[in-house]
Amino acid sequence: MRTAASASLQARWFDGRSSHAQPVRITLEPGPKGPSLLLHPQAEGDAARRFTHAQVGWPEAWSAQRAQRTVLVDLGDAGSLEIDAVAQWNAMRAAAGMRAPLAERMQTRWRVLLAVLVLAAVGVWAFYRWGTPWAATQLTRQVPMSWETSLSARALQQLDGAYLKPSQLPAERQAQLQQRFAALGGHITPALRRYPAYAPALTLAFRAGMGANAFALPGGSVVVTDGLIEAAASRGLSDDALLGVLAHELGHVMHRHTTRMVVEQGVLNVGLGLALGDVSTVVAMGGSLLTALAYRRSHETEADCFAVALMRNAQLPTLPMAELLLHLDGERGAKAGAAQKAARQAPTEGEAGWAQLLSSHPDTRGRAERLKRGQVEGCERPSPQR
Amino acid sequence: MDSGSQRPDSLPMIQHSHRTAHHVDTASDAMPGGIEAHPLEFSGSGAEFFRVWIVNVLLSIVTLGFYTPFARRRTAQYFYGHTHVAGSPLEFTAQQRRMVLGFLLLVLVYVLYKLAADTGQTTATTLILLTLAALAPWFWGSAMRFRLGATRWRGVRLQFTAPWRKVYAASWPVFAIALLWIAAGLALRALAPELPPRPAGTRGGPGLSLVTPPMWGLAALALVLSLLCVIRLEFNYKSLLVLRARVGTQAGRWKPAYADFVKIWLATAAVFLLFVVLAGVLLVAFLGGSAAIIQNATQGGVGAILFIVVLFFGTLFLFFLASAPARAYREARLFRLVWSNVGVSHIARFKCRLNTRRYMLLRVKNIVLSLVTLGLYRPFARVSEYRMKTESVTLHVKGGVDQLAGELVAQQGGLGDAVADAVGLDLVG
Repeated sequence: MRTAASASLQARWFDGRSSHAQPVRITLEPGPKGPSLLLHPQAEGDAARRFTHAQVGWPEAWSAQRAQRTVLVDLGDAGSLEIDAVAQWNAMRAAAGMRAPLAERMQTRWRVLLAVLVLAAVGVWAFYRWGTPWAATQLTRQVPMSWETSLSARALQQLDGAYLKPSQLPAERQAQLQQRFAALGGHITPALRRYPAYAPALTLAFRAGMGANAFALPGGSVVVTDGLIEAAASRGLSDDALLGVLAHELGHVMHRHTTRMVVEQGVLNVGLGLALGDVSTVVAMGGSLLTALAYRRSHETEADCFAVALMRNAQLPTLPMAELLLHLDGERGAKAGAAQKAARQAPTEGEAGWAQLLSSHPDTRGRAERLKRGQVEGCERPSPQR
Repeated sequence: MDSGSQRPDSLPMIQHSHRTAHHVDTASDAMPGGIEAHPLEFSGSGAEFFRVWIVNVLLSIVTLGFYTPFARRRTAQYFYGHTHVAGSPLEFTAQQRRMVLGFLLLVLVYVLYKLAADTGQTTATTLILLTLAALAPWFWGSAMRFRLGATRWRGVRLQFTAPWRKVYAASWPVFAIALLWIAAGLALRALAPELPPRPAGTRGGPGLSLVTPPMWGLAALALVLSLLCVIRLEFNYKSLLVLRARVGTQAGRWKPAYADFVKIWLATAAVFLLFVVLAGVLLVAFLGGSAAIIQNATQGGVGAILFIVVLFFGTLFLFFLASAPARAYREARLFRLVWSNVGVSHIARFKCRLNTRRYMLLRVKNIVLSLVTLGLYRPFARVSEYRMKTESVTLHVKGGVDQLAGELVAQQGGLGDAVADAVGLDLVG
């Protein structure tokens, strides 16, 4: 160590007071925290100046193959050093026990870069799989009910103005369905609640327009269209089919999926924008779009799980619901053209897998098959502690 | 990827001969004081910077973006350290701690704003936006102070010495634009014909047919005036930056006039129109060629949807490409104007020979390659543009490069840099 450290190097010193270069000789001395730098002026009799490890701005090596033309060492207020013998400087630095920072090791050694690459891939996967959902659960817990209800009121107002008309359903039929909906809501046991303290007032609203549809708004409102009720009737399906769909929508309500989506999108957009924004906005936006779709699919699965469990609690069959789903899917497929049909009815698993990436719902056929059996894959035992 | 650009290390001796060669070249316009010409050099390489950049990207991912201030410092150090001015590289000396603090402060403001906006707190959101708008000149000033204060050459620090009063005075076009649009809004309301009350429940604003010709004229006038204000702001900021910059104790010199800037913007508008027309012609040709497809498409089916999607994104992409040459044109012309007309007191002046056409071609090539590689070409693009710009500049020095006297300058806080990053001011270039 001592012999290596006593090697010296010629450099030009700029003292910060003038742009005039002074020839100096520098040596490095190993220390517990890293080497310190000694500056020996050329003039006879001048004492050497010592800079501790922390006082020196150590330059990075950018490449293992190609040495920089001139290296600059930042001495703070004491100016800077220009070194032309870069290879010698690097050797001297290593001999004095200088440990290169991680970034430098990554750009000069492929093995370190590869290790961090693997680490990053695993980290991103874990963040997507557990990090964001966990953060979304924690943040969603903090969102007040009043925010959800005011958001739904505004959304429903907009929908009423643009797409929806008052329902044409007779009042007694509405009352009948209201009654069954209320009864269904009564079967939501504590085990089914993801947020134990979350108890929204569940309401059912009837509207016309938007085809055969049912959707949940945050804060407890479920909207069902006349089209859906007619579709069930035209197929000769009992009201159990409608209740199954409503149970699915209640799943969205009780899991607070709208709020989660807002939070998850926020976390994702910020995270991916910061991490990948420098690569390209297309990649960052594509990444957040694909993950958002994946989260939406998992929301649908969660709602299905909720529906199956709730229907079991209420001792109602899930078969009619599955048939309604298949029926609607067939009609939609016929209307929307061959593209989606091809994607939905892809004969091979591989193709279906790719189409899956770009769809917001899990594929309907599989979903319906599983609902028929009353079992949904990927359901966890709901635990209120989560 | 590293082996692409191995070149022998240039020795100081070679640099010296280089220097004297240029000295001979420019001997014809040499003045009695003895003027030396030093072409600026950039010794970095795209492949090498790719490694630096990919490390930044990976560490940013691992740290959920909090590596950003470190990445910025490393990037600046790479470009500075490979930029040789009269044989000596530039030095980026910003303190990492200050950059991190500035970044964290900015993240905090952003999170507060996002929270206020997403939870629908209009008052808080407006308040934050108004405060940021009022502070915008201060942000610009601190970004410039930080950028110059962190730059050193031959041990001598650069400085930005404009007092805040001057920065705000130079920012008058910002406030003029705000006043202009408030006035235009009021005038438009006065000019607007009485609207019949809209039936409740209908959506959409009044149709364009309700806008009268005088209103169109007024809007156009307001648009032209605000564009002139934007140009004035750019001119004010650039001139203030140069005139109030100090290299050691020497002040910057500035020659361009506002009219020069307006001329460049007019020419840019012409270039933009030219390329939009070109893009339009291409689009029409494409549509004409695919008339058969349209006919099929109108009959419905997959073709229709696919065709509309392709058409939409194609048009968007075409206009993005069409504006790129105009943007590169403006950048190159402005760069040449500024770097041919600035200097340092009476001891140095710069000359720039940037070829606008070549720079535009380079930009188009870089955009295409970046798109094709999903952004992986970005570091190469950045290096090639920086190299072309830097190496187009020659520094002419009277009386040698070691006559500058330095001054000890207090280092500036890093907030300026974080803000400059957020609003897209680039540290280098």
